[in-house]
Amino acid sequence: MKFTGYLTTVSLAATLISSTASAESLTVYSPQGEERAVWITEQAQAVGHDITMLSAGGSELFDRILAERANAQADVVLGLIDASMATLKSEGLFEAYVPSWAEGLPAAYRDDADNMVYKFWQTPIVLAYNSDALSADDAPDGWLDLTEPQYSGKYVIGSTAWQTTKSYLVGMLVLFTDESGEVTDEGWDFMQQLYDNAIVVDSGDAKTAAFVNGEAVLDLNWFGGVGNLGESVGYTPVMIDTEGGTPFISEGIAIMKGTNQLDEAQAFVDWFGSPEFMAAYATEFGQVPVHPEAIALSPESVQANATLLTPQDIDWDAIAPQIDGWIQTIELEIK
Amino acid sequence: MNALLKDFRRSPMQAVLFAIVIWAAVAFIFGPIWSVLKFAFAPDGTASFGALFELAESRRVRNAIWNTLIVTLLSIVTVNVIGMFQVAVLEYLKVPGRGFLRLAYSTPLIFVSVAAATGYGFVYGQTGALTRMIQAVYPALPNDWFSGTLAVVFAHSFLLTSFHFLFLRAAIRRVDYATVEAARSLGASNLRAFVQVVLPVLLPTIFATTLLVTYKSLGSFAIPSVLGGRRFDMVSELILTLNSLRRPDMAAMLSIGLGAAVILCIVAMQYIERRGSFIGGAKTPVPIERVRIGNPIMRVLVIGLAYLVAVIQLLPIVLVVLFSFAPAKSIGTEVIPSTLTLSNYVTVFSQDTAFIPLRNSVVMGLAAIAAGILISLFVVSMAQRVKGAVSNALDLTFMIPWILPAPFVAIGLILSYDEPNPLVLGTTLLGGFWILPIGYAIGAIPMMIRFLRAAFLSLDPSLNEAAQSLGAPSYYRFVRITLPIVLPVIVLVSGMTLNSLMSEYSMSAFLFNVNNKPLSIALFEGARSTNPEQAAINMVYIVLIMAFSLVTITLADKYGLGSGQEKR
Repeated sequence: MKFTGYLTTVSLAATLISSTASAESLTVYSPQGEERAVWITEQAQAVGHDITMLSAGGSELFDRILAERANAQADVVLGLIDASMATLKSEGLFEAYVPSWAEGLPAAYRDDADNMVYKFWQTPIVLAYNSDALSADDAPDGWLDLTEPQYSGKYVIGSTAWQTTKSYLVGMLVLFTDESGEVTDEGWDFMQQLYDNAIVVDSGDAKTAAFVNGEAVLDLNWFGGVGNLGESVGYTPVMIDTEGGTPFISEGIAIMKGTNQLDEAQAFVDWFGSPEFMAAYATEFGQVPVHPEAIALSPESVQANATLLTPQDIDWDAIAPQIDGWIQTIELEIK
Repeated sequence: MNALLKDFRRSPMQAVLFAIVIWAAVAFIFGPIWSVLKFAFAPDGTASFGALFELAESRRVRNAIWNTLIVTLLSIVTVNVIGMFQVAVLEYLKVPGRGFLRLAYSTPLIFVSVAAATGYGFVYGQTGALTRMIQAVYPALPNDWFSGTLAVVFAHSFLLTSFHFLFLRAAIRRVDYATVEAARSLGASNLRAFVQVVLPVLLPTIFATTLLVTYKSLGSFAIPSVLGGRRFDMVSELILTLNSLRRPDMAAMLSIGLGAAVILCIVAMQYIERRGSFIGGAKTPVPIERVRIGNPIMRVLVIGLAYLVAVIQLLPIVLVVLFSFAPAKSIGTEVIPSTLTLSNYVTVFSQDTAFIPLRNSVVMGLAAIAAGILISLFVVSMAQRVKGAVSNALDLTFMIPWILPAPFVAIGLILSYDEPNPLVLGTTLLGGFWILPIGYAIGAIPMMIRFLRAAFLSLDPSLNEAAQSLGAPSYYRFVRITLPIVLPVIVLVSGMTLNSLMSEYSMSAFLFNVNNKPLSIALFEGARSTNPEQAAINMVYIVLIMAFSLVTITLADKYGLGSGQEKR
């Protein structure tokens, strides 16, 4: 009767759900794009790490991990940026583990205090231009030039839920902070103009479309993304070594507290951050690793990239608590 | 209370079910409401209006409230004008091709929510067919001409007329034609007879439909999200933004504001409904004879307008259906597809990424319906068997979600279950599969209770008494007598609920996650994408949703359930 019907539906639903969940493999949350996630998964499986990668935007993953704190779905998190990893660590979500490759890692990328988050590569957040559409003379010299009238409608600001967007917005706001660390009115006026001047999108497709139809010629992107976009749209990007420097973010890896596959997770972390795999990744995607041994093993072009741009001096640990408030102001007042 | 205890003693099963239903009410209705109130007014445990002030200070929030009010006011006017015009054309005037027009005017019944918004975007949006057609003639037309207030009000105007189609048409049929003839014999023109004789009889219904439109427009979510464009938000969207900014206090406060506006509407609606029933029509009316418009210019004008409205309503649907059979590459390049193929349908049913949202929506819909029907059956049958305060309270409790906008319920669920909660055995629902079907069930129960109550009221009590006097125990009587009679209603209500859940957007946008991404969210993401493959999949989704709606509504209509009785 009614009960049986109900039970049938529930069990039917349960069967359908369980058919997708693969309980055995290690779940890795990572904001790498689909292509890179697939490549990492293939490489990992080739050496016996059975992993499932869940790719999503950095902030979306960050929110998910916080939301799932009581019921963690991930075993390992990799690729979230400094500030996000710092917050998750302070929420007590990570398991301590010193990876085999921690030896020799510069202190800035180690976690000597808690032994939880180890950084494996660095990513400059860059300003690039389409050199087929814009000459070097006409290109901006730095981030703060974007508000000039000649760049109106020529660049795209993505969703603030993307960690790239968040990083360059924060990188610009940091330039306008006073002694107490607050953003000045001048800084918010700049931000308003930056948005007023921009094409604002919520999806990667929409961003690509703005470059395809030729409206946008300036790309605010992470290092590897600049090349990807240029390739998919069909133009030659040139990165600007900006006045005042470019924000560098480094990405970390950590094991989630409460994972039921601790051994597998540790083995995966050891493998992933190893100089050999980092160098292989660098060869494949041009990503600059931070481990000196990995840099030494990387192709020359990657080694050259490591010194291509001037880093902006940002103390991520110090501004991490401010970022949510800044993004809220951008979302509720400026956007 | 005594009667209740007696009932439990007679059947311990009832006591168990009673406990389950009480738990559901506490966990999923009162708990979430409490959470919203707590976070809005005392996020840290002490009373505070900080959230209210912060909301008032935000430019984007103020704009969203302003936009919502403007859109609602404009929609009331445009929807009424178009809705009344449609009813006049169908029921009062002699217009050729009435069958075709009726078909066109009935499309808002099956073309709803995010599916309709996506369809409109496909025709009028940035790369829409019509946008490119107009640009071919006027190249100066900007790509994003169809956005903001214009786009949202336009879409509302042609999508929210379903109430007029259902209720106003029914009302005009109750008009006594003798009164119209009398007016005309006294020298009144067609128009004057309509305005002074027919309209007054329709007024209560027009008020009721106006309030339904207000209610829908205030809570409008999918349409502004898809069509609004940059720097245009309505309140529901802002609640979602605040939630994603991890400001539950502000999200809760704004959802209370939206809830208050909606409740005000419903109170007004009920007041007018109650008053309206006294006006009524004639008991045995002379059926209306459609009048022919005398003035030839007027006649051509009216007929032209009637067909224009029909074309506007049909255009997105025809194009969506056509392009669902077109190769993906023809989307965005051709105005009418030159070749037809089934490959998009094959993709949806064979590729996991395309099929999973469809499966998720069906599974979650069925689970929500099963739970909802079980609870509704219990509540309604108990109200029948055991009269008294407890039954009434239970009945009212499960009707509460009817007056709460979906974002309110969703925020409540998020705030109650973002960490382990003893009410659900110490689990965390947020981020899991079940939170969304629970939200669906909460939203669906009021309609289920309404229909089941009506079905139970029509039961002949003597059947039950006869069985009882023959010694049949209560569960046996329920299975053999009650259930067979109410079963058709259960099936139809389930069908209609599944139908509305297939394109449910408001609850979904808040509660979905990677484990349960439903069809509506896949559609929404597809609508924002500029990838033609994604657009092609979207066309198929919309066609499937419309086909399903068509089947359930036809069935519901056939079995006399009426199709416009959707909850919102």
